Amino acid sequence: MQIRLFISGRNYNLAEGVPDRLTLPDGATLDDALEALADVLPEGTRLPASCLVAVSGRHCGTVGSHEAERLRDGDDLVVLAPVAGG
Amino acid sequence: MNVMGEQNQERGSSGMGGPPLTDEERTRYQRQLGPGVLTEEGQARLKRSTVFISRVGGMGGPAALALAMAGVGRIIFAHGGRLELADLNRQVLGSEQGLGKPRAAEFAACLRQKNRLVTVEAIDREPDDAEAVALAGRADLVISAAPTFAERLRLNRAAVACGVPLIDAAQWGMTGTLIAVKPRVTACLRCVYPQDPPFEEMFPVIGAISGAVGSLAALEAIKILSGVGQSTFGSLLLIDGYRGHESRMQLQRNPTCPCCSSLQRFSPMSREASRD
Ligand SMILES: [Zn+2]
Repeated sequence: MQIRLFISGRNYNLAEGVPDRLTLPDGATLDDALEALADVLPEGTRLPASCLVAVSGRHCGTVGSHEAERLRDGDDLVVLAPVAGG
Repeated sequence: MNVMGEQNQERGSSGMGGPPLTDEERTRYQRQLGPGVLTEEGQARLKRSTVFISRVGGMGGPAALALAMAGVGRIIFAHGGRLELADLNRQVLGSEQGLGKPRAAEFAACLRQKNRLVTVEAIDREPDDAEAVALAGRADLVISAAPTFAERLRLNRAAVACGVPLIDAAQWGMTGTLIAVKPRVTACLRCVYPQDPPFEEMFPVIGAISGAVGSLAALEAIKILSGVGQSTFGSLLLIDGYRGHESRMQLQRNPTCPCCSSLQRFSPMSREASRD
């Protein structure tokens, strides 16, 4: 199955070369997707534990602490590095 | 809990009662009175409302400007320091004439020039825990547009303690986020950010995204205070201007949130407070 991927928030520029889709085995979970995402991030970068994750508009927690979530073909995964500028 | 799209209800001191609009106010606000915008009673509720905003720089400035022009009765803002040249790419309440001068007085004068019917109170410092609670307690709504998570979380605690809606506006580069919190009903900032993100003193920012997010914060405030339209409590709006992408996520409350769960009683000196 394929999911759409969107990384944004602080340092969004570092994610510019990251593909906008991930191909995962059927039955994959949010953890599987985050592992697959870590593999395609630019060398030397990683997602901070404080990043929010949402699947198809539903907030699931953070990269460091989230609910178990089974993904479906066509889901949108948003990873948002918190921004605080004022 | 998602209550996005709920119809707004009257609340706080902006409820029924109080003086009606004057003829001058009816003329001044005529373009925002009518179908799809405000009712006369909604406009009168704005007039009776108090909004507390910390800070009024990139996002809080446009938010304060929009609220003053819309006729919110009292705007209390906190902003310390002196105006610097590098502020002028985004801080719309500042001007070249104000460079080197205290921001609070400059920004207050700018707001008063926009609408003399609005009372503006300027505080020239970042409020501490106790002052944040005192100011939130005087307000019908709090807007958090602060440059650090520590201050955002302080405003969040104060709003939750006082049961006052909070709108959090944040930015980085060409992105921005907006969260509306209905205390103890929808997720608070601590529910959403259980770990403190890393501190960053000099974040990049373009004034165009500051203005966009600040204006949307003001629009949410106007809807909540006037009782008109549908609020977006319980969701996070992400605007990624760099790639032209917007998305919204429905936020979940953390049942063990150290700030807003039913087990917590607020104290400015609590462990949650000292951690920030
Ligand atoms: Zn909470």
